[in-house]
Amino acid sequence: MNTGGLILVVGSLLAATLSFIWLAFRVGSGRSKHPDIALEEAAKGDVEHIFNNEFREELRNRGRLHFEKIIGENAMFLQQDLRQTTSQLNDYMRTEITRTLQEEFKKYEQSITDAKQLALDSIEKTSATIEQQRKLLGQQLQSQAAEQKAIIVERFEQEMAAIVNHYILRAIGNQIDLSDQLDYILAELESNREAMIEDIKRGT
Amino acid sequence: MELKLPEAVISKIDVARLMRELNSLDDFLVQASIRPPGTSTQPPRLTRSLELVAKDNKYNLLDKDHRRQLQAQLNLIMGQSPQVHISFAAEPSIAALNRIVGWFRSNIHPQTLLQVGLQPTIGAGCLVRTPNLMFDISLRAYLKQEEPYLVKLIQGAGGE
Repeated sequence: MNTGGLILVVGSLLAATLSFIWLAFRVGSGRSKHPDIALEEAAKGDVEHIFNNEFREELRNRGRLHFEKIIGENAMFLQQDLRQTTSQLNDYMRTEITRTLQEEFKKYEQSITDAKQLALDSIEKTSATIEQQRKLLGQQLQSQAAEQKAIIVERFEQEMAAIVNHYILRAIGNQIDLSDQLDYILAELESNREAMIEDIKRGT
Repeated sequence: MELKLPEAVISKIDVARLMRELNSLDDFLVQASIRPPGTSTQPPRLTRSLELVAKDNKYNLLDKDHRRQLQAQLNLIMGQSPQVHISFAAEPSIAALNRIVGWFRSNIHPQTLLQVGLQPTIGAGCLVRTPNLMFDISLRAYLKQEEPYLVKLIQGAGGE
């Protein structure tokens, strides 16, 4: 049912009402005694004549159609609203999930950053400690190396003297004639003479 | 009177040899005296050392008393004379040994006996050991004594 049909129905209803009212005023003015009863019967007959079963069935059909139309429109509106609500809900959910995920990602990222910083600090501390230990170890090594070097040099000097002495003894030991040494030997014996005499006297 | 030892008699071994020679001479002369005259005999050959001892001390070896006195003197030397141990790097010559023993007998004791040893590690010089003392007059001792100077020289050479 379109708007034109609806206007036609409403217009016919208004025309019937107006004609009924006009007829009621005419009857009232023509009869002065007992007019109400006749008028009432006439109105009832007209009503029965106008609003007969077909007309009522027509009105019922029109009302059903109109109701179905309204129901359909409302269903359409409801569907649209539902779609819109669903869409908004989806958007909201997406936004909320995205926001929550971003927050969680931020927290996760912050945790990773903190852990990374912690690890970097730990590595820096470890590096500093290792560097310190390395320097200390280097100093100790240098000190020990210097000590060892001094010991080795000292031993070398001592051993070198012994080697030189040994070499001289080996090289010239059997080459010097005893007669060449006699003056030296006798001079040394002379210098130790008193001690020898004393020892021999004591021994005998 | 102390027996004068020649420089050829250096050690107790030499004294013991003299005593053996003297004993054999004494035995020979005793045997010769009991043999019938005209028997051919061969007298023992005497060493120059024994002859020198007899000559230096005016002993007649044909005289029995002199031989007995000499034997007693040699016994005395063997038991009581001071002995000095002296070591050389190499075998010493007789002449050098005679000079050394002469010095000992002139300066220490007239009957000093030497016991000569070898110690090649001393290089040169000698090592003298009296009964209680030791006198190291070797090249080894001298080098050892001068070792600080050598170390100083090496240190100086290393520092340059």
